[in-house]
Amino acid sequence: MEKINTRFGEVEYDPKNLLHFPAGLIGLPNLRNFIVMPNKKQGPLFWIQSIDDPDMAFVLTDPTNFFLDYQVIPEPAEYQSLQIENGDDWFVLSVVTVPPDQNITLNLAAPIFYAPRTNRAIQVILRDTKYTSKTPLHK
Amino acid sequence: MLVLTRKLGEGIVIGDDITITIVEMKGGNIRIGIDAPRDMKVHRQEVYDRIVQENKDAAHWNMVDLDTISDNLILRKEKNGKN
Repeated sequence: MEKINTRFGEVEYDPKNLLHFPAGLIGLPNLRNFIVMPNKKQGPLFWIQSIDDPDMAFVLTDPTNFFLDYQVIPEPAEYQSLQIENGDDWFVLSVVTVPPDQNITLNLAAPIFYAPRTNRAIQVILRDTKYTSKTPLHK
Repeated sequence: MLVLTRKLGEGIVIGDDITITIVEMKGGNIRIGIDAPRDMKVHRQEVYDRIVQENKDAAHWNMVDLDTISDNLILRKEKNGKN
């Protein structure tokens, strides 16, 4: 086990069990390795802690919890980035923005594809999409 | 920044596998054709910038807010489930 000091305190992690973004996040290419943090609370939100920059952490969720008709699929090049083949499982996640007023928004314009078998993830920008990067939850 | 002047139909080659062509010029708009490998992502600047800004905004949050929101989402789900 290794340790890092994050803005939420000291976190212990197993370096063999990291979530790997081979290209980082969009605009943040250096953020490649994350710890998936167990949530203290129940519910659909969880968070990932960067080990490349201990100040950086992101709240994620499965967007279909909130938007039942949200459907995006990885392109062949994205299968390569995830190092998966046809038939392998993959999941869609959204980055959640948590402002101080607590009215969270989901970035549906730039979803994350996650492949459990390889523990890899990539963020992609949807082309010509109706979805926005700041989608509020339905009232 | 390298600045080049091109006419309609002319192009620019970047490296071995990216070609940019001026396809149309009309009313102050320029249509550009881009040939690039599929894994080379091409985006409108403002779309890309918006996603970068959103990612940076998303990195700033407090644990207290996340805990409260998680509790509220559970309550909301229970309420909706009863309706």
